[in-house]
Amino acid sequence: MSHLAATPPPRLKLTLKDRVAIWRDSDLWLSFKASPVAILSTAVTLLIVIAAIFADVLAPQNAFDPVALNLLDGFAHPMERGMGSSMLFVMGSDEQGRDIFSALFYGTRLSLLVGVASVIFSMVLGIGLGLIAGYRGGKIEMLIMRVADIQLSFPAILIALLIFGVARGLIPPQQYETTAVFVIIIAIGLSNWAQHARTVRASTLVERNKEYVQAARLMGISGFGIMARHVLPNVMGPVLVIATINLALAIIEEATLSFLGVGLPITQPSLGTLIRSGQKYLLSGEWWILLFPAMILVILALAINLLGDWLRDALNPKLR
Amino acid sequence: MSDPVISVRNLQVEFVTRRATLRAIDGVSFDIARGEVLGVVGESGAGKSVTGAAIIGLIEPPGRISGGEILLNGRRIDNLPPEEMRKIRGRKVAMIFQDPLTSLNPLFRVGEQLVETIRTHLPMNERQARDRAIDLLTEVGIPAPEKRIDGYPHEFSGGMRQRVVIALALCAEPDFIVADEPTTALDVSVQAQIISLIKKLGRERGMAVMLVTHDMGVIAETADRVAVMYAGRVAEIGPVRDVVQRPMHPYAKGLMGAIPTLEAATDRLVQIPGSMPRLSSIPRGCAFNPRCGEAFARCCVDQPAPLPVGGRHVACHLYETLEAVR
Amino acid sequence: MSPRPYVEVTDLKKVFDVSKPWLNRVIERSPKQILKAVDGVSFDIRKGETFALVGESGSGKSTVAKMVVGLLGVSGGEVTIDNISMTDPAQRAQRARLRRKMQMIFQDPYASLNPRWRVDRIIAEPIRAFNVVEGEANIVARVGELLTLVGLHPDDGRKFPHEFSGGQRQRVAIARALASNADFIVCDEPTSALDVSVQAQILNLMRDLQEKFGLTYLFISHNLAVVRHMATRIGVMYLGRLVEVSEAKQMFSHPRHPYTRMLLDAVPDLAMSGRARIPVAGEIPNPINPPSGCTFHPRCPLANERCRAENPLPINGVACHAVVEGRTLLMPVPA
Repeated sequence: MSHLAATPPPRLKLTLKDRVAIWRDSDLWLSFKASPVAILSTAVTLLIVIAAIFADVLAPQNAFDPVALNLLDGFAHPMERGMGSSMLFVMGSDEQGRDIFSALFYGTRLSLLVGVASVIFSMVLGIGLGLIAGYRGGKIEMLIMRVADIQLSFPAILIALLIFGVARGLIPPQQYETTAVFVIIIAIGLSNWAQHARTVRASTLVERNKEYVQAARLMGISGFGIMARHVLPNVMGPVLVIATINLALAIIEEATLSFLGVGLPITQPSLGTLIRSGQKYLLSGEWWILLFPAMILVILALAINLLGDWLRDALNPKLR
Repeated sequence: MSDPVISVRNLQVEFVTRRATLRAIDGVSFDIARGEVLGVVGESGAGKSVTGAAIIGLIEPPGRISGGEILLNGRRIDNLPPEEMRKIRGRKVAMIFQDPLTSLNPLFRVGEQLVETIRTHLPMNERQARDRAIDLLTEVGIPAPEKRIDGYPHEFSGGMRQRVVIALALCAEPDFIVADEPTTALDVSVQAQIISLIKKLGRERGMAVMLVTHDMGVIAETADRVAVMYAGRVAEIGPVRDVVQRPMHPYAKGLMGAIPTLEAATDRLVQIPGSMPRLSSIPRGCAFNPRCGEAFARCCVDQPAPLPVGGRHVACHLYETLEAVR
Repeated sequence: MSPRPYVEVTDLKKVFDVSKPWLNRVIERSPKQILKAVDGVSFDIRKGETFALVGESGSGKSTVAKMVVGLLGVSGGEVTIDNISMTDPAQRAQRARLRRKMQMIFQDPYASLNPRWRVDRIIAEPIRAFNVVEGEANIVARVGELLTLVGLHPDDGRKFPHEFSGGQRQRVAIARALASNADFIVCDEPTSALDVSVQAQILNLMRDLQEKFGLTYLFISHNLAVVRHMATRIGVMYLGRLVEVSEAKQMFSHPRHPYTRMLLDAVPDLAMSGRARIPVAGEIPNPINPPSGCTFHPRCPLANERCRAENPLPINGVACHAVVEGRTLLMPVPA
């Protein structure tokens, strides 16, 4: 076969304009445009994420720097000016004169960080093990899936507590504060990998028998190459849906752990830590310390969940 | 010819999608008489199954019948409320689907499904209905029906299951049956048996049968008349012998030449360039014009209407000019 | 000594364990169940010819195809391609070299192309895997050349499989099979998912390519008319056994095995010649419990005691006691 001189070389690279055009014509975008719930929950999530990322710039007060606090400002009601610094506390302040509104920026940032990091951790672990189980089969599959079964028969929070406890035993007390974030990420991540592994394994079993995988085998491509390049991209759809819903769960899980006092220390407050410190004052009438962090937690979890629901429907070819 | 059982007049079916409104069926008309088998043939996307579904009222949103009318024994049925259509379905019109496995409920015995269907439509008690069910199983050629009636669908082979599905369709003595690819899921040797069964039943019971299939061989064996569909329109409709052996519409000609046969030992098959257009991009004028070797200017502008030529109807401008010359 | 045929398949066997899980077996005291999907199949393929395997579902024809290319291990017997054994573990290295000369075209063009890959990447995969050409620019040129060869435009390489129709996807699959300069291509029902007008395009294309590059095909199909159009020689399979192997012309003019005759008679008569045909009886039995002796005997008009007891071995390409004993005259002759 000689090279055909008349053939123009095919263009391989897509311009940004091409990509935008493709995206604007995709089913995902069209379904997004048609769903007010998806648009609203995306807007809410984005707003919260941006607020969290730029907490340092946007928050009126550097809420966790002791120098910035004025004890005279303590227990200011919402929309009241502090007695010490005379700044306006939109959502009130706590006993140390910390602005709840500002604390929310920092708390959300940490909650999101822990949520996202633990979901990525559980995704990597779950996808890897699920792929191996689905593609290899046999004893390895048995082992991985039985461990997943056992893990799924415990409540995730219990597993996270267990892992947290073990970590506490291993880490010297003076390093608790510096390692707390990592410990909680690993604890939550380890408690959620099984769902990913199950989903990926089920999809892998389907994809493995498809003819494009057989064609790749005929080319002598290694098992790892086939898993990474052929199977993985095709099982990502359902994984993304689970990951989104898991993100909401992970944020709630972190809040629960912190509320129980086994999560992040008060010096690194998450939404859960804020709720925990707020519940002390609920009965003495300072309701705002608890209410606002709890509200943000609910709104954030709800928005992400709705987004996950929409994504699941949008990716389901039967509902198109 | 006696009054047709089913009469379809200028039927249009549309599907509303996020992007656009797609016209799946565009001006389809035909009649089917008592005891007659009309074969509806076409490639995937030709709209043959949608036509069948439209007649028995199974078009569901986002699809809708947007024009034309369907008459059963002279009475309009396309605009009936769903409740009334449900009564007619099964009683007067019935359907045989492609996959016998999914048309039967795996959890119930074959007899229970037959008896239930019979008693829904006919005033019979349990005993009478069971006797009738056994008669029907005998009629569709199931050996030892008294015993097999108490079997579950999975205990039947593919061919026997399709026979049960046919018996199920016959329960209330319908006047009209739509058989949608009834042999596609079956092996060749079983296919032949099912074809001859459908043919025999249609004749003996004087039912009108609409046989939807992509397989020209099945049509040639079974049908009295055939409609060749392309992109939601009928390209050619006429007696099966004429259309199969001397097709006139360029698409029908190409289609016949493309089928490899046992008889003709040609080296090359006739090849129609390109493929059926998607619903979202049906060409203007005659839908076949970009693939047609004989297309001329008018074909790209005007949609041809079915013309009576040589005992059949052909939707092609070629024959219009011939007519004019004559 | 005559040269060895390009592909030699000898006494090929495949069994599948279709038993229930171990625990169920113990509780229900049911024995292990073995499905003999392929049972002693032998044939050879000469270089440049098209050898077709026909049969109905469950006949084991696709299983044979997968064993020939090495996608499925064999339970017994041997496959030799170009003097290299596909089954002998000692010839692993030679087999790796053989692999690029041997590709497959699958039935479902919707499943045989990775939906997340662009077509140019799909076609380039074997080129990269086998190092057929070096350098990115040469690969791009080669992909364009292959696309042109199968009747697509080089620019089509930028598209994803879902942007193509079924026939165009099958063209892409053919381009991929040719990408490594393969000369033996196993085609597993390559057109049974396609519409007839598209099927004609693909069959014509496959014949053109065979002529152009001297390809050898193993062609699997259930459609006798398609096989008639493509094959040089034909093997008919029934329940895992090869019941007849004949030259294509002879198979259609003088079918020998009763099952072959039945299959031919079951094909709808498009010409409406009114040729007399024996009505087909019965269905394929459950392959887990195949009939004794010749597995076709319950449906065979010529079966006798010997057929029920003894499995016929192929003699002159036909595995049938009745043919060997000359009892075929008893068969109703088409008028």
